[in-house]
Amino acid sequence: MVNLIRAELAKLLGLPTAWIGLAVGSVVAPLLAVLNAGAVRAAIAAGRYEFSADLAYSSIQIVMLGGLILGVVTVSSEYTPTSDDAPGARQITTTLLAEPRRCRLLAAKAIVLVLVVAVQGTVTAVVTLLVVEHEHGGTYPPAEPARVAGAVLEWVLLSLLAYALTLIFRNGIVTLTLLVVNSGVVSVSWLLMKVTPLAAYLPDVVGKHMYLSDLGDVRIHPVVAGAVLLGWVVGLLVLAARLFERREA
Amino acid sequence: MITIDGLTRDRGKTRILHEVTFRARPGRVTGFLGPNGAGKTSTLRLLLGLDRPRAGTALIDGRPYAAWDRPLTVTGALLDGSGAHRSRTARAHLRWVATGNGLPRSRADEVLEIVGLTADAGKRAGKYSLGMSRRLGLATALLGDPRVLILDEPINGLDPAGIRWMRGFLREAAAEGRTVLLSSHLMGELAETADDVVIIVAGRVVADGTLAEVVAGHPSLEDAFLAHTAGEGTSW
Repeated sequence: MVNLIRAELAKLLGLPTAWIGLAVGSVVAPLLAVLNAGAVRAAIAAGRYEFSADLAYSSIQIVMLGGLILGVVTVSSEYTPTSDDAPGARQITTTLLAEPRRCRLLAAKAIVLVLVVAVQGTVTAVVTLLVVEHEHGGTYPPAEPARVAGAVLEWVLLSLLAYALTLIFRNGIVTLTLLVVNSGVVSVSWLLMKVTPLAAYLPDVVGKHMYLSDLGDVRIHPVVAGAVLLGWVVGLLVLAARLFERREA
Repeated sequence: MITIDGLTRDRGKTRILHEVTFRARPGRVTGFLGPNGAGKTSTLRLLLGLDRPRAGTALIDGRPYAAWDRPLTVTGALLDGSGAHRSRTARAHLRWVATGNGLPRSRADEVLEIVGLTADAGKRAGKYSLGMSRRLGLATALLGDPRVLILDEPINGLDPAGIRWMRGFLREAAAEGRTVLLSSHLMGELAETADDVVIIVAGRVVADGTLAEVVAGHPSLEDAFLAHTAGEGTSW
């Protein structure tokens, strides 16, 4: 299993698209914190910013995109045609010949994803918080390690969610459109929350309760939020694994 | 030894393999011959555990492919294309495959040398020509120094020098005691290389024996093949 994990790690980090994910996650968040500093400072001065601890965590939300990209790429790269000469040929054939036990393969990929996203998320979150601290001379209430852990946990779980969805769709574009558009442009879940408060338990929004305090009318305890997101992820992973076991490569 | 017994497979409502049964023995090159669409690749994919049969078994040295730990050390397979992600270099591709099967990373350079790709080891697989892709696929198959080789249309895309090299390579592998099973729709090629021949037409094995047995009564393997496929409306 150790060999398998090492192979999957080399495979993931050998992809240029994976480095795009890592770069998006690691560089953009601290950069945004710096760029936004002026506007945020003005808002605080004018008394329009109640939860200044959230200003750090709001700017690190973008790190999530890096994890999503990694979760997608680790699967979609398997299904990319290897060349124009052989449109049916894909890396997944090599992967399954090297490790025909499919559940072990999925587990190894998941472990690698968790490791990479956790390391990247922790480093980026700490750097971004330090930037915010430097720009604004601290936050109120002060930044707590538990909230950083909550944020990193959300990204890890969301990357696993992207991984499971891409396994189900066998197509990275569908997952990326679903998750990125939903989180960045128009959130269907936020719109649904206007209709029913239960929408706050949808997987793309519930995790935010682990580290953001100002999330509209619905209050969900961080532990409950984490458990709900974990439930979504486990459910979708089980479905994805069953499909992957049964489908032909 | 490859043992295939009663392999049956459906695609949708169509039965594409009808109780396919044959053996490929160590120390011999077994040619799996048939027109395009006859079921050669389908049979090999079932043998490699990539697809699931409706009925029947396909075993490699007595066990299904997926039951082998570190399977590349037992079986090497070449299917369509290079099997490498197009943005990876040949060397990087071979290294992750080697790592996953507990093989030293240095094996990557050794197999690149065997297939003559050393000079292009740092090139991205997506930039490879068809012939180079086949060589990279073969290099991947050889990583674990396997005693069983399963090759689907290995000479497709090779130039004349490459075809000659492949013929010599396959003969040598059999001489070393390995089991070599290769599919082809090129009869002239198989007549030069194979010891045993299995002919499959429309998902059914119609002839199985040594090259001499299958050719017996016909001027050439091509004539024997055409006699077996007569009336099947082959597409080529």
